[in-house]
Amino acid sequence: MTKKLLMIDDDPDFVAGIKAILDSGGFEVDVAYNPKDGLRALEAKQYDLLLLDIMMGRGAEGIMIARKLRKHPKLREMPVLIMTGMREQIAFLFPGEPVHPRFVEVDELVEKPVEPQVLLDKVNALIQTAAAKRRAK
Amino acid sequence: MTEKAKILIIDDEEVVLDSCLQILKGGAYQIRTAANGSLGLQVVEDFQPDLVFVDLKMPGISGFEVLEKIQDIDSTIVVVVITGFATVSSAVDAMKKGAYDFLPKPFTPDEFRLITRRGIERRRLMREAIALRREKELLREQFASIVSHELKAPLSAVQQNLFALEFELQKSMNEGQREKFERIKTRIGDLLKLINSWLRVILVDVNKLKEGFKPVSIAEPIHTAIENLAPLAARKDIQIEFSAESLPAVQGDALSLSEVFVNIIGNSIKYSPSGSVIRVAARKEADRVMISVKDEGIGISAEELPHVFDGFYRGKSGQQAAAGHGIGLAVARQIVEAHDGAVSVESAPGKGSTFFVSLPVSSVSIP
Repeated sequence: MTKKLLMIDDDPDFVAGIKAILDSGGFEVDVAYNPKDGLRALEAKQYDLLLLDIMMGRGAEGIMIARKLRKHPKLREMPVLIMTGMREQIAFLFPGEPVHPRFVEVDELVEKPVEPQVLLDKVNALIQTAAAKRRAK
Repeated sequence: MTEKAKILIIDDEEVVLDSCLQILKGGAYQIRTAANGSLGLQVVEDFQPDLVFVDLKMPGISGFEVLEKIQDIDSTIVVVVITGFATVSSAVDAMKKGAYDFLPKPFTPDEFRLITRRGIERRRLMREAIALRREKELLREQFASIVSHELKAPLSAVQQNLFALEFELQKSMNEGQREKFERIKTRIGDLLKLINSWLRVILVDVNKLKEGFKPVSIAEPIHTAIENLAPLAARKDIQIEFSAESLPAVQGDALSLSEVFVNIIGNSIKYSPSGSVIRVAARKEADRVMISVKDEGIGISAEELPHVFDGFYRGKSGQQAAAGHGIGLAVARQIVEAHDGAVSVESAPGKGSTFFVSLPVSSVSIP
């Protein structure tokens, strides 16, 4: 079955670059260009993974979404790939290094821009990890 | 300060209050008085004085307590304690607790005027220093946000679309087209790395790192760095060897230490020929841990040698000076120095270079 992904990011050009890769990878991708629409989409539809930008709007509004997800009984099981352009937010991390911000049960962080294969691998790996966790419960 | 400086005098002896008021009369001051510590503290809250005189010996809460509370309210308020005869030792105690000066009783009008002027001046300087620091902080943040939003975000979007385009076209492209893609991606990637380095320098106050220092096993950040650099080394077919004896811990921040080694080893990779070896070693020397990074690269000339850690300085030893931004080694030095360590380098053209990082051994061991 086609996996459904939601991407929340306020930069339409960046979104286009990510979505094209995920489309070619056989995913179905919905996009929300602000946190509000993103939350609405999350409530309305079921997704297999969320791609989340951190710096949106006036500040780190993406973190707010991640925090909301964490408190949500159902959504907290959804894997999240956090994408950020500000590597300073993630201390002195280096591009491509796997990082586990642990906002929700299954998440990882990548720095923008993301190489196509890295993106697809991470998305697939996160979906699989989340599925394995659900089965184990 | 355009408005009149505000002075509060707290003393239980009315005669002292009166004479103080008398002495300062006609000066450019707004003055309030309080007969005891609790009243005085209330006045501090509403009046927001620049300078407070407080008697150390009063019924009710003591001058010491008043001093401490004032500092909790606003640590930039200048406090001068008034002491009786033969209580120099308590005056010293008060100064240790943050009082700016002391005024022994009895005092002459001139003494009082002088200490008032100095106290007010002190407060003015403190406020100026704080304002300047704030301004600097603000500028730094603004600049960082401009760099990241106006430069980095668009560039990331460009690169991301280029990635997507290449991904879509990968099966139909010929060799020449592939090469052009590679060239564009590399140059944009370099630009992004450069912006990241700038942001690092702008945003991170290395001296603040100290607050989070913990005992660190030095092999750990070195391993992290080598893992990070593995793809880069593999591309140039360079081998990185790491040997370490069992070492005492150093006091530091593991992430920034790994950045130090990413920068130094990364620099060595940049200037090393394909197929060469970079040797990283760590050993204990007296009360220091000494890490060396030895490459078989192009080496550094005697005149360039003193400047390699200066920042915005890039080796130009003729042969294919690799692309770089000359900031990595400067950042490494800053971080190492924040750890009370030192960096140095030995090199000669054509003979390779050896970089040294020495860090003091931690007095605390790893828990």
